[in-house]
Amino acid sequence: MTTHLPTDPRTENLLRISIIWRGLFTLLSAAGAIFLWTGTLLPDSPLWQKIIITVTLVTASVFSGIGAVQISRRNHSGRMISLVVDYLAFVICVVAALTIGEVFIGIDALAETFTSGLPYLGIVALGYFLGVLDEYFPQKQQNSETSLKVASRWVMLGGFALFLLQVGAINGILYFLGKLAQPAGIVSVTGVVIFGLSLWTMGRAATAQALHVKTNHEQILNGWLFLSPNLLGFLIFFAGPLVLSFYFSFTDSDAFNTPSWVGFANYAKILNVRFALLTSPDQLARDVVNIKVYDEVGRFIFGNRGILFAAADKFFWLALRNTLTFVLFAVPLSVIPALILSNVLNSKLPGMKFYRAIYFMPSIAAVVGISLVWQWLYNATVGYINYFITLGIDFWNNLFNLAIVDPKIQWVSDEKTALLAVVLIAAWQTMGFNTVLFLAGLQNIPGELYEAATVDGAGAWDKFWSITLPMLAPTTFYVVSTTTIQAMQVFEQVFILMNPAEGPNNSTITLVLYLYRSGFQNFQQGYASAIAWVLFIVIFGLTLIQFQRQRKSSIYES
Amino acid sequence: MISVLVIASFALAACGSPATEAPVEAPAATEVPATEAAMTEAPAMEDVAIRWRTRPDNQEEIDVYSQISTDLDGELDGITLTYEPGGSEGANYQDQLKAEIAAGTAPDVFWIPGTDVADFATRGLILNAADLAAATPDFSVDDFYAGPMFHLTYNPETGAAGADSGAVWGIPRDVSTFALYLNMDLINEAGAPDPRELAANGEWTWDAFLDVAQKTRALGSDIYGYGASAWWGPYGVWLNASGGGFFTEDRSACALNTPESLAGLDFQRSLYQDYDVATPYGEDPEPTFRAGKVAMFQNGRWATPGVRTVDFEWDVVQLPDGPSGTAGNWLFWGAYVINANTEHPEEAWALAQALTTAQTQGKIAALGANIPSRVSQEALDSFLTFTPPANNQAFLNGIAADANPTAEGPLWAGSWPEFDKVMGPAIQGVLTGATTVDDFGTTICDEANKVFTQ
Repeated sequence: MTTHLPTDPRTENLLRISIIWRGLFTLLSAAGAIFLWTGTLLPDSPLWQKIIITVTLVTASVFSGIGAVQISRRNHSGRMISLVVDYLAFVICVVAALTIGEVFIGIDALAETFTSGLPYLGIVALGYFLGVLDEYFPQKQQNSETSLKVASRWVMLGGFALFLLQVGAINGILYFLGKLAQPAGIVSVTGVVIFGLSLWTMGRAATAQALHVKTNHEQILNGWLFLSPNLLGFLIFFAGPLVLSFYFSFTDSDAFNTPSWVGFANYAKILNVRFALLTSPDQLARDVVNIKVYDEVGRFIFGNRGILFAAADKFFWLALRNTLTFVLFAVPLSVIPALILSNVLNSKLPGMKFYRAIYFMPSIAAVVGISLVWQWLYNATVGYINYFITLGIDFWNNLFNLAIVDPKIQWVSDEKTALLAVVLIAAWQTMGFNTVLFLAGLQNIPGELYEAATVDGAGAWDKFWSITLPMLAPTTFYVVSTTTIQAMQVFEQVFILMNPAEGPNNSTITLVLYLYRSGFQNFQQGYASAIAWVLFIVIFGLTLIQFQRQRKSSIYES
Repeated sequence: MISVLVIASFALAACGSPATEAPVEAPAATEVPATEAAMTEAPAMEDVAIRWRTRPDNQEEIDVYSQISTDLDGELDGITLTYEPGGSEGANYQDQLKAEIAAGTAPDVFWIPGTDVADFATRGLILNAADLAAATPDFSVDDFYAGPMFHLTYNPETGAAGADSGAVWGIPRDVSTFALYLNMDLINEAGAPDPRELAANGEWTWDAFLDVAQKTRALGSDIYGYGASAWWGPYGVWLNASGGGFFTEDRSACALNTPESLAGLDFQRSLYQDYDVATPYGEDPEPTFRAGKVAMFQNGRWATPGVRTVDFEWDVVQLPDGPSGTAGNWLFWGAYVINANTEHPEEAWALAQALTTAQTQGKIAALGANIPSRVSQEALDSFLTFTPPANNQAFLNGIAADANPTAEGPLWAGSWPEFDKVMGPAIQGVLTGATTVDDFGTTICDEANKVFTQ
């Protein structure tokens, strides 16, 4: 595409149409943005939706206008802009058409009928098998299709057609077309056709040639095209909600009504705390703080005096305290045993692969199932853990005539042990995965280092302390960082294990649990968003500290 | 190209199901998604599709509700029904429901617990069916228990309740109440008096209850005299029975710190801390009871289907009378309400009525899990036949007018979920010995009263 050949009349005509289309699209997008604010278009949509749609339409309008100018100048950037704008619009129209046709919620219906079509998928498999046979027993004709290959294709097609009939494709198609016959469906299908045609026009080799497109331009476009599914998914399902939640954190959104802007009120409530001096350990909170605003979170007693810590939202601070306590215990219990275990499993002894799999299994098991099993194990009256503790104590008491008292630990119903119960589950579940990570790190340590240390007379502990630990530093950093982030977001185990989830005397309320409670039980979505951003700052701060410590202590840095 | 064809085919197949031809003209808010529609027969084109949901406790209830949906589908002209069993209590039925309402995908008619009516109504999530009720000659609020109907006809704008209040938020599906499930094997083995006889003689008081609990507890370290779950229902009865309660009479402020409430709480605390007769507070006592290790298990009628599977002799007895002269029992209830965004309010109202007829309630009550919400001797007589337990009368005694049960109710002047979140942990602190009753009484209402200003 480096040589410039004369443009054929058909391409010239298509380029003229493209310029008109780009101009029309520019005007339509701009008009859409204006009508949105005059109330003609989507009058009931909330402010945040209007802002997003306006930004999208104005951006599309501006770029489309630029595209029109550049195409008229026969500049390749006009083609690139046109392709990007039309591609995004095409994707939006396709998704809109599928949504209007209820394809996404119909997936469940397909799941219900799918099994009835399985025998016909067997016919497809049979067809495929015939094709495989043809490859193993090729006939003599080299340049023409064999009868077996033709038969394979028809059997597969027939089987697939029967499968679609059986699972309800005819009804599905009719239903889909019926939905698309509605005005919104017609608009979206028209969009698919128009943007599709525009894409085809700009994608043609002759058009590219006419717009002086070079090979590297094509490569850039192809790169973005291949990246687009992931990028669009990231923008729509991750970055978009992230920005939205940031906006919601400044509103009083309840998910049902139009939110109002409240500025920093949500953050102010979270961070509104008071410290007050107590003249006696049992002095009431109402004597030292405005009890209509603040609730007691805790008190620090020094002799006959103390300090009261009160907050406008005590649950947030209790949740923060519990979350940090959880991290403090769960991370070491998930990392240190994993490090030890990985060293044990990093041997050539027979059967080690089996044990590696065994220790990894909790990591791939469903959290809900695991938590329910542990709930039974932890039951104070009929649970297995207390049962075995009782058996053990009875054994020692009988054997040595002792009088050890059975503690009958109330694992999940005593505020002293409830969080510990969650820590044990989380550590047990995470340890296997961390072990695998450490194992991978261990296997990257050169064996020569150990051999040299052996020659120098180093013992097993010296080797572990002076070679294994330093060489594992990058792995350890990764394991500790990810485990910390995971622990800061603890939710599922608490939510399933504890009843109520906050635990006895709020001893297991965590930040994500409180976020969920605020956002999806009390439907204070704005406030929940603010909690989420505060949590993000806490996690970010902790991770930053870990990064800095890693830089200072890294063997590779030094 | 073949891959694209296959994907497109699957996508189109996903649009519908063989048994479904949802009406094309049905509005988006209430039309039947192909998923659920697969459960129903193909409706006539002019039929209105209505989806409805309850929170069943087990598969048996799902089967009964499904059959009721099929039956009503045939009886209600011009309406095609789709029944959606909601998640269980542990699956956060209400959270999911509210999320679906926010997304615009909630059913037309759904069941919610009595405590949640105010939350749903004040947020504008459920329809005020007063006009529909007024236009229905057969409907009368007096046909149902007065407690639930007070809350279901409460008008937050005027503060009035009753038939002419201008508000009808729903129709109660059923009612329930607490009783004590008895392990008669343990009680007999301990030589304790039979609570049923004590109740029949009017001697079933807190002292008598404690006596039975202590005697059965003495059978062994792993045998308990009493067990109750850790939520507002079980501990509330002790407060009610001593003349106290959660709220002031007009339900506009906290009453947890009144002397009566504190006396009730103190008695319950003594069961856990002083006499040590109860299963540890916060532990689910149902597995322990079903394992034959609890003599008296406090629970509602909904526990009956599960208890029917135990292999020891069991029955039920009403709760013991407290210092106030009553057992302080609750009248639990939940209601069918109408989605505020339904496109078919008339049809949804017709369904809510059909779901609460004596005939429909009888089919559900036969499962043994709940009591009909209609006040009629016929319904009560019918309920008594659903045995075991032999002493079904214990449940009816709990909701009888002279027992003065407190109707489970929403907080129109505040946030019930928030009140519950403040009250629950604080009471747990008392019952587990972490807090004294005095300390509880001194501070609880400072915090709890804040939910009334929200």
